[in-house]
Amino acid sequence: MTLLEQYSLLLALVIGIGGLIMALYGLARAMGPARQESGKDVPASSGVLSQNPVWGRYHARYYGYALLFLAFDMEMAFMYPWAVVYKEVGLVALYDMGVFLAILFLGLLYGWSQGALRRQ
Amino acid sequence: MSVAVVLLALLGSVWLLAVVEGWTTTGRLRLTAPLLSGVAHLGRESIVPRTPDRLFFEAAPVLLLVVAVLAAAVLPLAPTLVIADMATGALFVNAALAYVLVALIMAGWGPNGAYAMIGGWRFLGQLIAYAMLIVMPITGVAMRAESLVTTVIVNSQDSVWNIVYQPLGLVLFIIAAMALAFRAPFDLPVAGGELGGGVDAEYTGVRLAVLRLARLTLVVTLALATTVFYLGGWHGPLLPPWAWSLIKTLAVAVSMLLAGRYLPRIREADLMRWCWTLGIPLALLNIIVVGILVLVVP
Repeated sequence: MTLLEQYSLLLALVIGIGGLIMALYGLARAMGPARQESGKDVPASSGVLSQNPVWGRYHARYYGYALLFLAFDMEMAFMYPWAVVYKEVGLVALYDMGVFLAILFLGLLYGWSQGALRRQ
Repeated sequence: MSVAVVLLALLGSVWLLAVVEGWTTTGRLRLTAPLLSGVAHLGRESIVPRTPDRLFFEAAPVLLLVVAVLAAAVLPLAPTLVIADMATGALFVNAALAYVLVALIMAGWGPNGAYAMIGGWRFLGQLIAYAMLIVMPITGVAMRAESLVTTVIVNSQDSVWNIVYQPLGLVLFIIAAMALAFRAPFDLPVAGGELGGGVDAEYTGVRLAVLRLARLTLVVTLALATTVFYLGGWHGPLLPPWAWSLIKTLAVAVSMLLAGRYLPRIREADLMRWCWTLGIPLALLNIIVVGILVLVVP
């Protein structure tokens, strides 16, 4: 199968799942509608609407982790191609990536020592 | 042809898993229970909360189901029994599963309810904890197979399965997979006892049915991924290849459910601390160990 065929197949799969869910929704609608009653559509908060708006700003208490996560996530973009050719390139690949990972790991240790790895 | 077979196998596994889940909660083994509760969900009212973000609210369960099936589409049940045997299979699994986060944040944001929103944002923190432990162990698997093609990865475990070759990777991957599928003890975004259902809270009727189907499909997909990456995929004596894949997948999925029943829910701060101070150093160690093994053991 060519790449284009594979992606078309996956796209067809997505459309198929969408169709299946549409059919389920249609079936549910045919079985009976939702009756409009006051108070029924209040979001789960013990029956009363919450005083404060829900779509507000929240404190991301994990921001220390999040900043380190960016570095590690970028690193993974390099790791996958490296992993595929690793055996072919041999020991040099291990040294190269070893140095890279060591620097990254030192960054993690530094962040840890500065208190980044805790709920802020 | 293989599309239909794989989808049927996926659906059958989900059904069996739902039966087992019902069995462990109610103590009765009823084979028709998942079907009946599915039909019952269709018959119930599907309530839309007031002032929702309608697009996010409607799209979240659909997206969750789509990404779970898409990730399963590149994982093989047998040498030829795979929907799309892509050159970037292992990477595609990661890419598809990253959208679980998007789906859960949409499910949290959409209904404009406080508990749902907290559940959604919580999962964002959970992603930062588990994400590295999904991608780093897969790197070790790709290093051994010299490929990201999932069938080649299974073939690379012909002699020795990865569970023996890199057991550390397997442990980290399973823990991260449970966190990704937000099963107990990592069910922070739904958190029955404290968030009243969290991202599940505002979904009723047919939408809840789709959401539940998606959650179970996600568990099966991750169990299949564990099988393909670590448990030798279709390899095994006597039985045909597809049977081994299904047996291993179901065994992993059921043990994930069972583990959740005996462990208390972990706090979000603890989860992140353990993942970053213990999990990531161990994952890096796993990569180094596998790197040495690949060069030393031919």
